[in-house]
Amino acid sequence: MIRFEQLEVRYGSRVALQGVDLELGPGVTGILGPNGAGKSTLLKTLLGLLKPNAGQGWVLGIPLGSPESVRLREQVGYMPEYDALVEDVSAFEQVAFWGELSGMAAPQARDRAHEVLHFVGLDESRYRAVSGYSTGMRQRVKLAQALVHSPGLLFLDEPTNGLDPDGRSRMLDLVLKVRDQLGASVLLSSHLLEDVERCADHLVILDQGCLKASGSMNGLRSRLARRCELRFLDPLTPGQEAALQELGSLLATRNGLYDLELLEPDPVAPFRWAQAQGAVLVQLTPRHDRLDEVLLRALHG
Amino acid sequence: MPIHAPTLPPRPLQGEGLAPALVLARFEVRRILRQRLGRFFGFAFALVLLVDLALVYFKPMAGVAGQLLPQGAAFQAGLLGKVLLFLLWLQVAQVGGGLVARDTLYRIRPLMYAHPVRHLDYLLGKGLVAVGLPFLILLPFILLPWGVSLLMAGAQGPVWPTAPLHLIPAALVVSFLMGILTLGASSLASTPGGGFAWALGGVLGCGVLGTLLSGLMGNPGWYAVSPMALAQAWPRILCGASGELGWIATGLGTLVHLSFWLGVAVLRTRPREALA
Repeated sequence: MIRFEQLEVRYGSRVALQGVDLELGPGVTGILGPNGAGKSTLLKTLLGLLKPNAGQGWVLGIPLGSPESVRLREQVGYMPEYDALVEDVSAFEQVAFWGELSGMAAPQARDRAHEVLHFVGLDESRYRAVSGYSTGMRQRVKLAQALVHSPGLLFLDEPTNGLDPDGRSRMLDLVLKVRDQLGASVLLSSHLLEDVERCADHLVILDQGCLKASGSMNGLRSRLARRCELRFLDPLTPGQEAALQELGSLLATRNGLYDLELLEPDPVAPFRWAQAQGAVLVQLTPRHDRLDEVLLRALHG
Repeated sequence: MPIHAPTLPPRPLQGEGLAPALVLARFEVRRILRQRLGRFFGFAFALVLLVDLALVYFKPMAGVAGQLLPQGAAFQAGLLGKVLLFLLWLQVAQVGGGLVARDTLYRIRPLMYAHPVRHLDYLLGKGLVAVGLPFLILLPFILLPWGVSLLMAGAQGPVWPTAPLHLIPAALVVSFLMGILTLGASSLASTPGGGFAWALGGVLGCGVLGTLLSGLMGNPGWYAVSPMALAQAWPRILCGASGELGWIATGLGTLVHLSFWLGVAVLRTRPREALA
């Protein structure tokens, strides 16, 4: 669906994205990274709002920065990070307006605005001016405008920004419903790891405009399942420590604990290795890394 | 709360809607009609129109009692007179000042460009409102007195039977001048109030500059720096009435203003600019 080759985007002399090679398929893709990592720039480039300064990119087969990118925007929905709502206009009128701007006929856009506002849970307040809306309601109006023209690809920039835990949970449920019921693919940019962990099928980690890691969440999780901590009865000899490579990569050692990423997710393998090495394994603790640890490791090595 | 889990059936996109520029323009017009100030200006214009109509009826009868007489070019040009144009400047500055600035304030321009809206569509949509509104307001000030005059005295009425042929092009040029100026001014501001201030400041500031320059240089042609003077000059020129500004100065001044303010609007509403 999305492919980048050595993509580079600059704001004047400041580099916002650099040498990004990426290929993304259907499903929900989480884009993680600290503030200023280039997440929003990536979304804006995908929308054709920013032209790449170098490299190439394709979204739904349409080259980025080409005149055809206007056509691309009929097939994608964008929910911006900030409030992009006209305060003195009702949610219904706004969503219908965005539908019409996406090429829908006025009656169709109005019908769809009703449906989509019902879908996001705003059916009862849809005729009120958005100036009286809570943050959660505003976020849902923004999601509704992104969905109104039934896009196949949705870009959500920090959709849970400013929401309380309940509001966040409802928003993430909606994101999952968009994927499961509408079959739309979603690019979810967030700095909230739990949000990405809950929704994403794939993960992209950016830092200072560079791609630090990407892959499927399942792959990532299976990699995480290979992490374990080992403790031996006696300290390992230098020879035994060197032989640990047969078992996996040694990530860290502290207080007699060996933090390993096993070559295979086989919990018996360390026992077999210890037996072969003449060591006594007294503790094996699987390390269920949280996503933030993965992120930190990707960002800081 | 809904009593069942909301679902959203996929719906194929049908490309049969209006052009984006027209959708944008219609959205703006609806917004304007909701404003209280819009209603105030509606009453004000209606009052000026009534005075115009009274003039059509009474002024020609002052000389020869009970008889309507054809009037000169200055009278025709006066249908788009100073008071009307001043009120219109205020109204266009108020409405046009918010056209782009409100999008900046609510940060909806990047979202517009995230839809199939090109830069040209955006400018056309906003321009249509900025230029169309003064033109639609001016139109009754030409057509109603003309129609009243024709009904009262036919070709012998105070308003020339050919007056619309002179005045409608004048109204069009004046509308372009007002609309494009306010559009450019609005793009410089980040709030509708700021847009109004920029527009009015532009009009009045250039007016003061024009007066100063014409006084210093001893040449009334410098009044062409003032958009207000230009707007007043066009009906006179196209009706053939004498005035301080000639064809060349008026044409040149209008062209410079249109180019400058359009350039400002184009530069300030680029998709890249919208992201800043």
